Amino acid sequence: MWECPSGHDRVTCRARKGAPTVAETMTYAFLILSVITLLGALLAVLLRNLVHCVLSLILFFLGVAGHYFLLRADFLAAVQILIYIGAVAVLILFAIMLTRNVTGTEGPREVFGMKWWSGGVIAAALAAGVLRAVINDPVSQAGSSAQANSSVAEIGKALVGHWVVPFEAMAVLLTAALIGAVVIALEEVMRRR
Amino acid sequence: MSLALGHYLALSAILFAIGLAGALTRRNAILVLIGIEIMFNAAILNLVAFWHFKWHAILTAQMFAIFAVTIAAAESAVGLALVIAIYRHYRSVDVDEMKALRG
Amino acid sequence: MESLYQVLRDCSWFAKLPDGLLFWISVLVPIGLIVAVYPAIFAYTTLIERKALGRIQNRIGPNRVGRWGILQPLADGAKLLTKEDIVPRAADRFVHGLAPVIAVIPSLLLFAVVPVGARLVPVDLNIGILFVFAISTGSVLALFMGGWASRNKFSLLGAMRAVAQVVSYEVPMVLAAVVVVMAAGSLSTVAIAEAQGGGILNISNWYVFRPWGFVGFVLFLIGAMAESARTPFDIPEAESEIIAGYHTEYSGFKFALFQLGEYLAAIAMAGITATMFLGGYNGPGSDLKYIGPVVGVFWFFAKLMSLIFVIIWIRGTWPRIRVDQLMGFAWKVLLPMSVVNIFAAAVYHFLNPKPLAWVVTAVGLLVAWVILSKVGAPNAIEKRVYRYAS
Repeated sequence: MWECPSGHDRVTCRARKGAPTVAETMTYAFLILSVITLLGALLAVLLRNLVHCVLSLILFFLGVAGHYFLLRADFLAAVQILIYIGAVAVLILFAIMLTRNVTGTEGPREVFGMKWWSGGVIAAALAAGVLRAVINDPVSQAGSSAQANSSVAEIGKALVGHWVVPFEAMAVLLTAALIGAVVIALEEVMRRR
Repeated sequence: MSLALGHYLALSAILFAIGLAGALTRRNAILVLIGIEIMFNAAILNLVAFWHFKWHAILTAQMFAIFAVTIAAAESAVGLALVIAIYRHYRSVDVDEMKALRG
Repeated sequence: MESLYQVLRDCSWFAKLPDGLLFWISVLVPIGLIVAVYPAIFAYTTLIERKALGRIQNRIGPNRVGRWGILQPLADGAKLLTKEDIVPRAADRFVHGLAPVIAVIPSLLLFAVVPVGARLVPVDLNIGILFVFAISTGSVLALFMGGWASRNKFSLLGAMRAVAQVVSYEVPMVLAAVVVVMAAGSLSTVAIAEAQGGGILNISNWYVFRPWGFVGFVLFLIGAMAESARTPFDIPEAESEIIAGYHTEYSGFKFALFQLGEYLAAIAMAGITATMFLGGYNGPGSDLKYIGPVVGVFWFFAKLMSLIFVIIWIRGTWPRIRVDQLMGFAWKVLLPMSVVNIFAAAVYHFLNPKPLAWVVTAVGLLVAWVILSKVGAPNAIEKRVYRYAS
């Protein structure tokens, strides 16, 4: 196992003079991933072409999965990639394909609706309020913990042990969502008469 | 500058606000759903950040996050099915045109 | 690679270099090896495929370019690189250019968790198999983007069919992998390969020799062939079907990238199959003291090339499945079979004289297969009625 030559703990040690510590590396990784995530989210709500919006949404999901890896929640990161990029993004792409305007235009002609600025003002006010609360609260000073670790075996045992009822409820919910989505989107052949 | 919980809370607040702005302002119903997905992800990121910095000995937050991701996926499936059904009826997905409660 | 980093630190000549440089060397060397070795395997797989298909079809494959056609992949590469890159005028140029790149990246990423020898894996993730499935869902996006961005109705139809096929066959594939994860007790590919070591000649512990392992192997191989759109599941890309599906409007280097992504995905899935069911790098002689890891690498590549050959052989021998038979096969036959397989594996684990468990699970799986193949695939071919002009 790795030991620090001068006896510090893993987070604050510098193996050689001038080398970055683990904490600094995490900060750089956080900044890069945050840029990717924010860029993906911004482009997803601002772009005009719908398919480009979905592509930047995929970039956003990748950024969030990267954040989960940084926060040592490996299983959740893999689940995020599998479910969101593998299923939800493909679903949104299919929905875009099925709801294209038949005459060939790209959809609603103006990108933003009536009084588009009010939505932006509300969102900015919300962000300002939450940021002010976050900055003033002492819980935000909690530092990084190098012991945070999640093992898949523990999650598996918890899912069939302590958390078996939510697990089964989730299975029922997914079945209901599946049947519901199929029934809602089914061609209404009978009612056309 | 060492990484603290506050950075993650700020990031997820900004992401939530971006998703909210998208859901409130765009005209296409599918973009509203995209905004909702961004909001979900911001909230789950917030939860996992709390798990990492304060409560990493307890598995509850991870479980909650996994269930939340699953529920978000199911919700987006049903939401998109609704959008497709509405498109069949109105021939457009413009949310400003869907003003009547009766078809 | 973790073991390379340890070796470099212990070796006195390298230990004088700064720690960060050792870290970067131990990361870049496996990446360089993956980028060098696996595309070379891809290039020669295309040659082996053409020669093998030729022999199956009673002709010689390419033999003009070098002795036995050895330089044919270079000629193909040169041809594709120098072709004109045609993009349709109405196509979305950004997405059109991005789709082939997104087709290649997941296929290359899959090689990061394939253990080539004992402790010789680029990254030892403790969620290895989950990572494989998460990454292979990324290639679905490339299919869709390629079909959509071409602004061609036939491309779009081909892309929809391809996405439906890939997504349907992913489910039995994942469930077939679950059996192996249950038996090995871990999602890490290294742990799965290690759990199949020991036994007679290092062979008898392979999961393929157990009934649930054999069924899982067949299911996973079928799923892997459908994922990379190989015959008999190659509706997305066969020339007689819907022009060429999602890559109709691609020419030159972008088409070469699509082919690269598809073949690399097939090779990576063959590598994962060899790791999960055929014991990875285990084979006679792979636990010897000094020469063991080298023998292990040899066994891994032997298994990989045999699986690739089996995939090519199936391509040359069997006809293509129709698109309605395709979906029915996945959802009505393969999915229930994989669920029954999971039950069989659990029964095998808990039933205790192992020969009895072997016989019970083998009989159970056989009965399940017979029932499912009669019930689940009713579009059987009727006896041909010959009508002659009289």
